This record gives sequence, C-alpha cells and structure tokens, in this order.
Amino acid sequence: MWKKYAGIAVVVVILTVAAASVWVHTDEFTGEDLQRWNKEYQSVVAYGRELWVSAELGNNGVSCAQCHPNGANTHPETYPKFQQQLGKVVALRDMINWCLRNPLEGDPLELDSAEMIAIEAYLMTERKGVAIAPGKH
Amino acid sequence: MKNVLAVAFLILGMLATGPLAAAGDGPPLGLPPVPIPDDNPMTPEKIALGDKLFHDTRFSTTGEVSCATCHEKEKAFTDSPLKTSEGIDKLTGTRNAPTVLNAAYMTSQFWDGRSPSLEDQALHPFTNPVEMGLKNHQPILDIVRSDPEYVAAFEQVFGIEGREATMDEVTKAIAAFERTQVYGNSPFDRYYYLNDTRALTEQQVRGLDIFINQGRCVSCHVIEQTQALFTDNRFHNIGVGINDIQGDIPELAHAFLEADYTLEEVDVQVLGDARTSELGRFAVVRAFNDIGAFKTPTLRNIDLTAPYMHDGSIATLREVVEHYNNGGVTNEGDPVNDFLGGGIRPLDLSEEQIDDLVAFMEALTSDELQPPAGNQEVTQ
Amino acid sequence: MSSRSTISRRRFLKAAGMAAGAGLLPVSSVRLSFADEKKDFTFAYISDAHIQHIRGTKFVRNWDRGLIRAVAETNLMVPEPDFVMFGGDLAQLGTKPELDHGAEMLSKLKHKTYCVMGEHDYYLDLGEHWSKLFGPQYYSFDHKGVHFVVLNSILTFDEWTHERWPSAEQRMLEMAGLDNPNGSPFMVGEKQRDWLKQDLAAVPTTTPVVVFSHSPIQKIYKGWNFWTEDAEEVQALLKPYASATVLYGHVHQIQYNQIGNIAFQSVMATAWPWPYPESYAHAEMDWPVMTVPMNRADPFFERDATGWQTVDLMKGRTGLNYTLYNNTARTVKFCTKTGRPRDVSYQDESARIPPQMHY
Repeated sequence: MWKKYAGIAVVVVILTVAAASVWVHTDEFTGEDLQRWNKEYQSVVAYGRELWVSAELGNNGVSCAQCHPNGANTHPETYPKFQQQLGKVVALRDMINWCLRNPLEGDPLELDSAEMIAIEAYLMTERKGVAIAPGKH
Repeated sequence: MKNVLAVAFLILGMLATGPLAAAGDGPPLGLPPVPIPDDNPMTPEKIALGDKLFHDTRFSTTGEVSCATCHEKEKAFTDSPLKTSEGIDKLTGTRNAPTVLNAAYMTSQFWDGRSPSLEDQALHPFTNPVEMGLKNHQPILDIVRSDPEYVAAFEQVFGIEGREATMDEVTKAIAAFERTQVYGNSPFDRYYYLNDTRALTEQQVRGLDIFINQGRCVSCHVIEQTQALFTDNRFHNIGVGINDIQGDIPELAHAFLEADYTLEEVDVQVLGDARTSELGRFAVVRAFNDIGAFKTPTLRNIDLTAPYMHDGSIATLREVVEHYNNGGVTNEGDPVNDFLGGGIRPLDLSEEQIDDLVAFMEALTSDELQPPAGNQEVTQ
Repeated sequence: MSSRSTISRRRFLKAAGMAAGAGLLPVSSVRLSFADEKKDFTFAYISDAHIQHIRGTKFVRNWDRGLIRAVAETNLMVPEPDFVMFGGDLAQLGTKPELDHGAEMLSKLKHKTYCVMGEHDYYLDLGEHWSKLFGPQYYSFDHKGVHFVVLNSILTFDEWTHERWPSAEQRMLEMAGLDNPNGSPFMVGEKQRDWLKQDLAAVPTTTPVVVFSHSPIQKIYKGWNFWTEDAEEVQALLKPYASATVLYGHVHQIQYNQIGNIAFQSVMATAWPWPYPESYAHAEMDWPVMTVPMNRADPFFERDATGWQTVDLMKGRTGLNYTLYNNTARTVKFCTKTGRPRDVSYQDESARIPPQMHY
C-alpha cells in the first residue's frame, strides 16, 4: 500500500521539481542579468563608436564622425523612409552603405555583419529618447 | 540604318493613331499625371490646332522651317543624328534639339531653363536668327488671322474672333499638343512597377543596380518608388564642352555680369556663339552656382535621341557613360573644370559594368516606340 | 561707379526673381551711403578647406574640389574684392603636404590674401610650417577706415598642448575629432588678450572694428568646441566700440548672433557642412536663437551646404552673402533697425522654407 503512495509521491516530487525548474527558467531574469546584458550591448555600441571615428571604413581616410559628430544628422529614428539618394524606401543600414560607397568612396558592408549592427547600435544610442518618426524625410 | 528606318516607320504609325495620353486612360505606366496649367485645358481641337501650328513652315523667313524641322515625330521629336540644329538656310546654332517627348514634365524649358513653360518656350525659336529668323511674331499673326482654316480653328478652340488671335493662343495650342507627347510604359517600368521580372534581361537588371548604386545616376536621373521622371529638373555642370574653354570663362562670365541681358537677348547670345553657350544656366541667372550647368534631360527613350548632351558632342550612350566614368571629362586624365558639379566624380566602372548600364538605358524606350522585334504592346 | 552698379543690381534682382531657387549670388556689392561713400567695400572670405592627405600625391578629392571652386569663383567676382580672407583649417591634420597643397590652391587667387589660424593647422607643429607660409598668427591691419584684427583663437591650456600627449601626431589627432571627449576648449589666451588691449588702445571707439577668429568668441556648444573659453574677456575688450563684429569659421554652418554691441557672424566651409548642435539629442548648449539654419544638404552633391562668402562693409557693419551650391543663396547682414544681424529673406518665421525647418 505505501509503495503505491510512495510511487505517487515520487512522481509528484519529480513533477514539482520539474515544474519548479521550468518556472525558474521562463520569463525571469534578475537585475544582474539586466546589467550583464546591458554591458554586452554597450560593448557593441563601443565598437560602433570605434568604427564611427575610424579612418579605415572607406577608402579615402574620411571617417563618419567628420561630418556626423556624435552621429548627429543621421536621424536613425526616421527609418524606414523614402531615401532620395536611393530612389526608394529603405532601412537605416541601406543608407549607411550609401555613405560608405559615396562620401567615403569605399565598399558597402554586409547587411548582417557585426560592423553594421555595431554602427546601428551606436547611432541609436546617441539618439536615445527621440521619438520615432518613420518616413520622415 | 535599317533599324532607324524601322523605328521611324513604327513611330510614325503609332503617333498617327492619336495622342496617347487620351483623357480617361490615366498617365502612362511609370509617370505621374501630366501637369496642365489652369489657363490652358486640353481639348482634342486645341491639340489638333497645336499639331498644325507645330508643323507649319510658313512661320519662318524662308518658309522652310517649322518646329517639326528640328523636332521631327519620326525621330522621337529631335533631329537626330544632327549634333546641333539647323534653322533657316541651314544656319546652325550651338545646341542639340531636346526631345518634346515628356517635356511636359519639365519645370523649365531649354537646356538652360530660360523658359518657365511650354507656352513661353514656343515664342523664342520663331524670333531667333538661326532658327526661324523672324524679326518679331507679326508674320505669324498675319497668317493665323487670315488663313481661313486657322481663323475657324482659333474661333472654335478659344472662342475668339480669328482676327484677334494673339501669340498667347498660338503658344497655348502648341503647348497643348506637346503635352500629349508623353510616353512611359517601357520594359523598365514593367519590371519596376509591375514586378514583371521577365521584362528586363539579366544584363539590364545588373545595369539597374549600377544606375542606383555605383553609377550614381539616380540622384539626378530620378527614379522613385511609384514613378520615374528620370530627371530632377535641376541644372548641373557635368564637364561637357566647358572643359575646352576653361581659360575663357572669366572673360565670358564678366561679359554677362556686366551686360545685364534680357531673356530675349540671352536667347540670341547663347545660340549665336558656341563659347557663350558653354556658360549654360549662368547666362540666365548669373549665379556662380550655375556656371556651365545644364538641365538634366529625361533618360526616357534616350536610345532614340542620339547624339547626346547640350552640344550633341557625345555620339553614343556608351561614350556618355565613359564620360561620367572618367569623372566629368571625355578623355580620361583631361583636366576637370573648376566649376564641376558636386555630384560628378570618377566611378571606377569596369567595361562590363559600362555595357550593363548602356543595356539598362536601352530598356527605357517606351513600348509604343519600340522597333517591331521584341516585346511591345501595339495600340490601335 | 556706384550708381551704375546699383542699376545693374536692380535689374539683376528682377531677373533673379524669375529664377528663384536657382542658387543666386548677388555678385555686385551692396552700396549704402556711409559718411564717405568711398569707404564701403567688399572682400571675399574662404574658410575651412580641410585639405586631407591620403598617401603619396593623393588627397581627398571632395575637399580639394571645394577649395578649387571657391578660389575660381572668387577670381570671377565683379566688382573685384578688396582682399581675400582665409578663415583657418586649411589642412586637416596640419601636415606639410596638406598645408603646401592648400597653399598652392590658394596661390591661384588674384588678390591679396590674409590668413587666420585654425586648430587643424596648428596642433601638429604649433603653427611652425603655417607661419612659414602665411606669416604671423595674430596681427591687425587697417583698411578704408575699418580696423581689422586677426586672432589665433584656437589655443588651449598649456598642459594639454605641451605635456598631455606622447607625440605631436597624437595631439593633432585628438584635437581633430570634433566630438572627441579628449579635446580641450579653445581660447585666445592672456598673451593675445594683452596684445589686443594694446592694439586697440590706439583705435578710437568710433572706428568700426572687425575681428577675424577661427573659434566663435562665444560659448555655444562645448561638446564640439564651438567655444572660446575666454570669450567674455575678449568681448569686454570690444565693448567700448560703437561698431564691433566678430567673423568666425570653424562651425561649417551659418550662425549669427548679437551680444551687446558685438555682432557675430560665422562663415561657411568649402569642405563639408556640420550639423547644428541642436540636432544632437544630448547636447546642452546656448544656441544663437536668431539664426535661420542653412538649408539642409543633399550629401550626393558634394558641394551642397558648403560654400564661401563675400563680406560687404557698409557703415562699418558687415553683410555676408553666402554662395551655397545646389541651394538658394543667403544674405545675412546687420540691420540697423533691430541692431542685430538678420537674414534678409528668411528671418520671419512665415518666410521659412522646408529645407530650413525639416532637418
């Protein structure tokens, strides 16, 4: 008789432990997690800043920061939008590549490259707090 | 040569069937509605009157030159292959005749934009010494006020006494006719706006990519999300012609700054002297911004309107691309002129890329104007 | 002479009115009556060329073309300018190739040229090569009744200049980045202020004074060194004058302001435009509110929002006519009614156009 109850008890314990494990791992993160993840994000932003001031992104020694100190006048919050220079509605990274090809006389970055996401992260961070305005010229 | 004749016959045939921007059909694929001024609405009778005036050679001193002399229907409304046009007694001017096709979408007329509208533009060739050569417009008025067909037509179209017709009505009719000559619906339009992926060849698709990206064409020869005029209606110095007279610019510029010409005088000056012609828009507005600057023409139907540039100096599309590829000089390594527009720079295109770009531009010919071989929609 | 150019100007403006939006430049100077009419005059002002060396004989083509064009157009001016000012930052990193290449392009100017020191010219060798090419770093001269002063206003603290950096190249790179947090605020410094005091002692307070400076002699935005640390002290030296003007480069944009009796006007760069500090979301700054922003540029056209300017002296006050490419030209001049500089076309809110508002 007790064996049956023991069996049930074991199952219940196992289920409880399993449920408890699932409960702990879904939809829960600590303050420490947030800090750590923010640091990871900031490291990418820092890489973006490094690229922003670098003379090596294009082929003529000009850096993005020369015309856009602190990323000013890049308006990342307005994308996607109709971009006159490309003749169609595009995303921020398309315009980043336009700048690389044109004023910087260089080669475009792969759209999914680490460099591209870093530059976007840097620009967005410099623009933190500004209301999004997609489509704004 | 055979191709040219085939094109000519087809164009003649197509155009003979009537204006394509017929009311109710909507604008051609790839183009917005034609801008029509409030004071010059379109009617079939006005258009027919304009057509007649456009072709009337009596409005010249020799009785041999009409608008159509330099803007021939069969030649896409140009006088291809002439580099610069020939007026009375075969006198030549300094500039290549622009096409009337899609001129209705331009915000100014002439290579230097000295005319604000189609109506105004029509006034000037009549009185230019190397075009129709008339001293003033009176001979034209004498004819339209006495020729019974014209008298009846002006009465019907404008509700005025034939005797009272003025150049205002004459130019309005001509402009109305010109507004019917709008053509979109090219293989590019079908590819880009109808998503017909078979409309362009692989090479032309590569050419389109170059047009937008490495070629840097799209900023002046505008393509947009839902329409493409292929012009920005602005003025740019791209280094054609002016490169050869760089040393003369101070003298020529000073002459204009000090002489203070009226627009009529400018019209005579720029067509009368090749060096003066190179000043471009500067002759009109006297701004440093515009030295050697000429209006961006549309690239629609460009394959039909050789030779190219304001002075007709570039014979083929391939040589045009080479000029841009060299950064605004016809021969690589030539000195760039000091006033070169900020959009022009060497492009580093390969030979293959140049071919691709030319192939793309050939896809800008409207279906209605295509030679028989290939894909076209024949309208009856 | 003056009546002929007045008539020309009227007809020109009429013709120009038909071509609105085509990028006008009133090339004849505006002649208003002055106590002695002969004393109205015009000079040209080119600034911030930033000639940038890549390697060997290769320089950044974009900046080269900007300076070439400004020089060529200055040479076309009718009537001719009395002289030309170069407002500083001829080089990008202050190297000999850059300064020499820039000097060569400037040498094509037909007129006498005075030069102002910029930080990009200075911080590699503290102006040694620049001085060989262009002479003293601060000085004054008189012309047609106006007292002109040229200051080297891009100096900074001694410690930063002489001790902070391991090499001259490093020092130049640190100062070259506009938004570099390692930079150091500009100043005129005590030595020059003492010199200025002495220089002005001989100048009556009724004489118009115009100061050429690279930094703004104001405190606009410290983060981008749109800043002069001893601005108030320099302004104090100019306070006694009935008409005082500061013309400055460095900012690569149209700015103008009035502080007390002093009018401030910036000049454009021939190289590239800079954003207005108010466009940086995190900037804290003191913006000259009367400025109507320059028209927003299309970066496809390399010359857009770059340019040079002619300066008219009328009754000792300045009016700047900005050549702007692919853009409507702008004129900002001192308005005696309001007692401050004013954009002649766009000062009223109702007169603004989208490229000035839609940044």
